[in-house]
Amino acid sequence: MPLRRIFAITSILFLAVLAVSPLKNALRPYRGFQRAFARLGAARAKSLQAAKTYQQQPVAIRQIWLPDFENRVDRCTTCHLGVQDASMAGAPEPFRLHPATYHTPKDSGRFGCTACHGGQGLATLEKDAHGDVADAESPMVPLKFIESGCGRCHSSEQVAGAATLSLGRATLERNGCYACHTVKGHEAFRSEAPPIEAVSLKTGAEALRRWLKDPKAVDANATMPRFQLSPSEVEELSNYVFSLTPGRTLADRVQAAAAEPTGDVAKGKALFAESRCISCHTLEGKGNGSAPELSKVASRASAGWLLAFIRDPHAFNSRTRMPQFNFSADDARHVVAYMESEFKDFDAPKEILDPLHVNQTLAEKGKVLFRQKGCFACHAPGVEVDRFGPALDGIGDKRAASLDFGKRTDIARTLPAWLEAKIKAPGSFQDGLKMPTFALSPKEAQAAVTALLSLGARPVPQPYRSAPTVRASLLPGGAVGALMDKYRCLSCHQIGDRGGDISTAPLTAEGSKVKRDWLVNYLVLSFTIRPILTDRMPVFRMSKDEAAQLAQAFETFYLDPRIPEDPYAGQPATSRDPVEGKRLYDTLGCRACHILGAGGGYYGPPLTEAGTRLKPGWTYAWLKGPQKWRADVRCPNYGLADADALRLTSYLDTLVKSSTASKAKRGGTR
Amino acid sequence: MNGNAFSFSQLGTLIRGSAVYRSIVRHGTAETNRNRSLVIFENLFLHVHPVKVREKTLKFSHTYWLGGITVSALVVLIATGILLMFYYHPSVPQAYRDMKELKFVVDNGVFYRNLHRWAAHLMVLGALLHMGRVFYHRAYRPPRQFNWVIGVVLLLVTLLLSYTGYLLPWDQLAFWGVSVGTNMAKEAPILGPPLRFLMLGGNIVSENALLRFYVLHCVLLPAALFGFLGVHIWRVRKDGGVQGPPEPPADDEVEP
Amino acid sequence: MSLPMPSLKVVESNDPVAVPKRVALVRPDARATLRRVEERWVMTYPNLILREVICFQVVVIVLAVIALLFNAPLEGIANPLETPNPSKAPWYFLGLQELLHYFPPVVAGVVFPGLVVVALVVIPYAKINLSARPLWSGDKARTRLWVGGAAAFLAVFFALFGCWPIVVPTLLIGAAMFSVYGGQLDGRLRRFLVSVTLPEWIMTWFILVATVLTLIGTFFRGPGWSLVWPWNMYPPA
Repeated sequence: MPLRRIFAITSILFLAVLAVSPLKNALRPYRGFQRAFARLGAARAKSLQAAKTYQQQPVAIRQIWLPDFENRVDRCTTCHLGVQDASMAGAPEPFRLHPATYHTPKDSGRFGCTACHGGQGLATLEKDAHGDVADAESPMVPLKFIESGCGRCHSSEQVAGAATLSLGRATLERNGCYACHTVKGHEAFRSEAPPIEAVSLKTGAEALRRWLKDPKAVDANATMPRFQLSPSEVEELSNYVFSLTPGRTLADRVQAAAAEPTGDVAKGKALFAESRCISCHTLEGKGNGSAPELSKVASRASAGWLLAFIRDPHAFNSRTRMPQFNFSADDARHVVAYMESEFKDFDAPKEILDPLHVNQTLAEKGKVLFRQKGCFACHAPGVEVDRFGPALDGIGDKRAASLDFGKRTDIARTLPAWLEAKIKAPGSFQDGLKMPTFALSPKEAQAAVTALLSLGARPVPQPYRSAPTVRASLLPGGAVGALMDKYRCLSCHQIGDRGGDISTAPLTAEGSKVKRDWLVNYLVLSFTIRPILTDRMPVFRMSKDEAAQLAQAFETFYLDPRIPEDPYAGQPATSRDPVEGKRLYDTLGCRACHILGAGGGYYGPPLTEAGTRLKPGWTYAWLKGPQKWRADVRCPNYGLADADALRLTSYLDTLVKSSTASKAKRGGTR
Repeated sequence: MNGNAFSFSQLGTLIRGSAVYRSIVRHGTAETNRNRSLVIFENLFLHVHPVKVREKTLKFSHTYWLGGITVSALVVLIATGILLMFYYHPSVPQAYRDMKELKFVVDNGVFYRNLHRWAAHLMVLGALLHMGRVFYHRAYRPPRQFNWVIGVVLLLVTLLLSYTGYLLPWDQLAFWGVSVGTNMAKEAPILGPPLRFLMLGGNIVSENALLRFYVLHCVLLPAALFGFLGVHIWRVRKDGGVQGPPEPPADDEVEP
Repeated sequence: MSLPMPSLKVVESNDPVAVPKRVALVRPDARATLRRVEERWVMTYPNLILREVICFQVVVIVLAVIALLFNAPLEGIANPLETPNPSKAPWYFLGLQELLHYFPPVVAGVVFPGLVVVALVVIPYAKINLSARPLWSGDKARTRLWVGGAAAFLAVFFALFGCWPIVVPTLLIGAAMFSVYGGQLDGRLRRFLVSVTLPEWIMTWFILVATVLTLIGTFFRGPGWSLVWPWNMYPPA
């Protein structure tokens, strides 16, 4: 072919290929989206003026710039044009209005999009933006883990409105994850697993073997995970456990308790019910489930140990959540007699609680295993300065490229997928991994992954941080601290961001809420406060002195500055008008939920003795906006004026306990 | 159409006849050999060529155009490189951010970056193949010995250019690629560690290293490349044009 | 074709046989031949210039098509705390990085590349390269001893370090060199192999080794610089 013709062809091709890129540029998808949005907006617009506004929007890249939030630039709104547009409710994606949450859609300008959703804010193409590319810092967070975004700023254990995140944080704590993994804020975590030396007092060789093989199979509430142990390893560990010598005093106590005469089963049954054991334990699956299942406990623990333990749980395990019940010597025997008669595994071999004859060689091997498998992290904490597993701080920002997927070629190469697989089946990545299997429910696993994803590599900037208002450091020391420890208040109640979720009454502002005399009586003998709830605080048989000491401490420490001590101060005298308050009580329809005197609803707490129980400051503060104090409460916010709220308060404050009324309300119902 | 073509050729004649055009291009249309010679030696850039070349050197198998391909890649690199410099800041983390902006916002940004990247690979590959070709054609023999040495230097400069450019996007690939490479340099006895320190402006790959690599990539190494490349091409001409494969004794050769 | 007889009249010709007036120094190691027919020369413009422009245009076309189809790699922002596994140098250094797997850093990173650069520089100054005699053209026994010895030494040396990517090409090239030992001519391939000079063998060996090492480093090395198949590589090379 003549040279000139080749030259002609290459020249044309040359110009053609150089024209492709500008052409592609002119046809970028977002331009089409913006035109479609303008049409959609105009079609949905209520007025001609509004339609015109849609049509006049220029086609351009839109962005939310957050200079004080890591200099974020989120261009998501270039395509997601309707996130803040109320007329786009139910519109097709990408134009739909953002679902309503605490912060959306109103706070989009403050938080942008990627703070919660992840992905690449800078990108203007779907694939790039949603992060399905190698250069994305993080791909978008799957929606089922979206509450991890809340956790980036809200560092407290419980986050209102983020149920999955809160459950996840509780799951991490409850399963002892922090015993092996360092996480900021949980450095002081100590597992409540029993010290290993005293186990031989409690259980037998066969029971221990079964437990080691799979704790969850023995007790569905077990928090101890399943380690991948071979039968020989189980044997070695059992030998090690039985080779240890428990403390002299404990051994003596168990021995002495075993020698005591048996109690009365019928009395024990009544005591068991009255003590509300299933507030924490379960009985054949019924109950709270935060403490061991009791239906077969007598085949796991010897009678002597049970008796000695119930009398003084903290001597056996200083970290247990079980409170001191102050049973009389006889009562404790009755309870154990009842447990021994009913709570047995009747299929188990007779010798299940027989001790093991220790083989020293196996015990030595077991000792090595105890270290290798990381058992010490929970059962002998404090020995090691460093945690057994890798730190989890920042794991929520780890890039998928730096994760070892090993054998798991079946899952997506993303961080959430990796975490989910790791939590569900830790050993599936490769052989010889040390992390045990926790057997979490799918919901717990989802929640735990959400909580882990909320552990960012960098703290969010100060203005975005939301710290809990009351920190756990508010726990008192001294005699009161010892008392709160004895009765394990934090096992059920929350104080600040710490404590269990069994009780619905946090103690954070208890001193501002209830009157001291009432509290003393309540601590001595508790009763159900809301008739609709069957659960109540167990009766601890606290002495009057102890109760008074606690009540005084609560009134001193657990105050909320937002609750006035005297709500009437500085208000006109007319506001203190119980008669007008009574009228308000009737007109507002409070009786629909509250019992007062002879009639009323069962949903809320009875108000017959409101003046005995509640401080007027609290009543007033509550009436001004119940949701401010508990997000999920049903009590309506009537938007009362100060004077009206005070009148109602003063009326409720007049409702005091008559000496005869108290008897009927006492005690619990099952 | 005819009328158009006519007016086009008329326009051409008009332009070529204008005083301005005559002042720029001082020879007529290349229809005579005289004018064809003038095209070459009246032009600063073309006069690295002789006016006439051996016909056989034009054959593809003579050189496989490997040198030409390498220089073409270089031209593409210069053109796209200058465009990229308009958007690039050699600082952390803006350098990486700029890559994103090129990709997401800048018109044709991805295209220029891709061109630059792939042309760089082509240039390294072309230089290597060119060297192999020259070796097997024994084109390093006298009088071309020194031009071969310049070629080796050019290859090293090309590798360094590519390597310094490798760091500039400041992504994981760049950072660890350069970390691995400079850790090798550290192993050289005596000179290694100080040389590495000089290159990186510190003991690790950091923002200092980014700035140094940027200056090397955009100023020093290109300057060195142009210098050596000029000499290289000029010597090709002085040594009698490109040297193809060694020729077997032909029929028309005689022993005197 | 018969030689034209020189005549007494002035001949305007470049033909050295026709006009034997030129003086030439012929070195003993060069063939002294004369070419009778003058080569054809053509105008640089447009013949060469046009080809150069076409070459440039083809390069741009090819590059532009590649650039439109494949994006330049870009990963997450550099993070000194997060070492990717494996972390690889650019492809043209992967041969060296592969060597690093077998040899101490000072050898793989400094000695070997240094030797290569020195070897490249001295190529045009080594007599053996200039004379360009086929391998088996001289004293065969001597060549056999030296070449065989050198190949065996290299193979054993690299085998000691377990560096099979070098041992195998070395043995291959050695086998190819000796395959034509004796030098009888039959068949085109054989005729070609016989004509190969020692420097060409060495260069071929070097290119083969470099190519093998680079390919292994690029496509067959995964986490912990372990051998993996390219289709199992993540992220893909």
